Amino acid sequence: MSFREKSAWIVAGSMLVVYGFYFWMIAKAVAAGQTQSFHYGSLLVQAVFALVLIQILFHILVAVPKPAEARAPRDERDQLIALKAIRVAFIALSLGVVLVSFSAAVYPSSFFIVNGLLFVLVLSETVRAASQIVYYRRSA
Amino acid sequence: MGAIRNDIRRLRFEHGEMTQQELAEKIGVTRQTVNAIEQGKYSPSLEAAFRIATVFGRPLEDVFHYSANER
Repeated sequence: MSFREKSAWIVAGSMLVVYGFYFWMIAKAVAAGQTQSFHYGSLLVQAVFALVLIQILFHILVAVPKPAEARAPRDERDQLIALKAIRVAFIALSLGVVLVSFSAAVYPSSFFIVNGLLFVLVLSETVRAASQIVYYRRSA
Repeated sequence: MGAIRNDIRRLRFEHGEMTQQELAEKIGVTRQTVNAIEQGKYSPSLEAAFRIATVFGRPLEDVFHYSANER
């Protein structure tokens, strides 16, 4: 498995774990009817820090055994896979933004709009990483 | 739709059993990309194809073959 493919696994896995926890907390606040009092800002900042730390740590761990491979620029296949994955993620992002825009008419609160858009961003980034993994498995 | 086949594996063997890693370093791609090309799972750019042919000192058509009826 190449460094780039390992990197895609790290991104997808860390996004699922960190934002999975974040949106689980959001869902709990919604279920408890605490959307007005729930301070999601601080939780979001903690999630971003946790995500950055996890990704840095795991990238270091996979780079240490083969530092030359980690330092090497993307080759043509890596670039093609990255572009294909961005195309898939853009479709997810576009559909999500349209869905959140329509949902804003039903739930016109900043809590739902901000978290809805954040969910779409997280989902599209996870789709991008997952698509990369699929294309690497298929070898583009 | 056609298919692009190649003789990279044979040519590597004929060139002192050159490893995929050695070929990858000579043409500026990863070993995984050379493996994908060799298995016919990835069609390289024209530039990369020429670089591979140059490493083996052969014309392009000695390394890559196009079959219009294969998939």
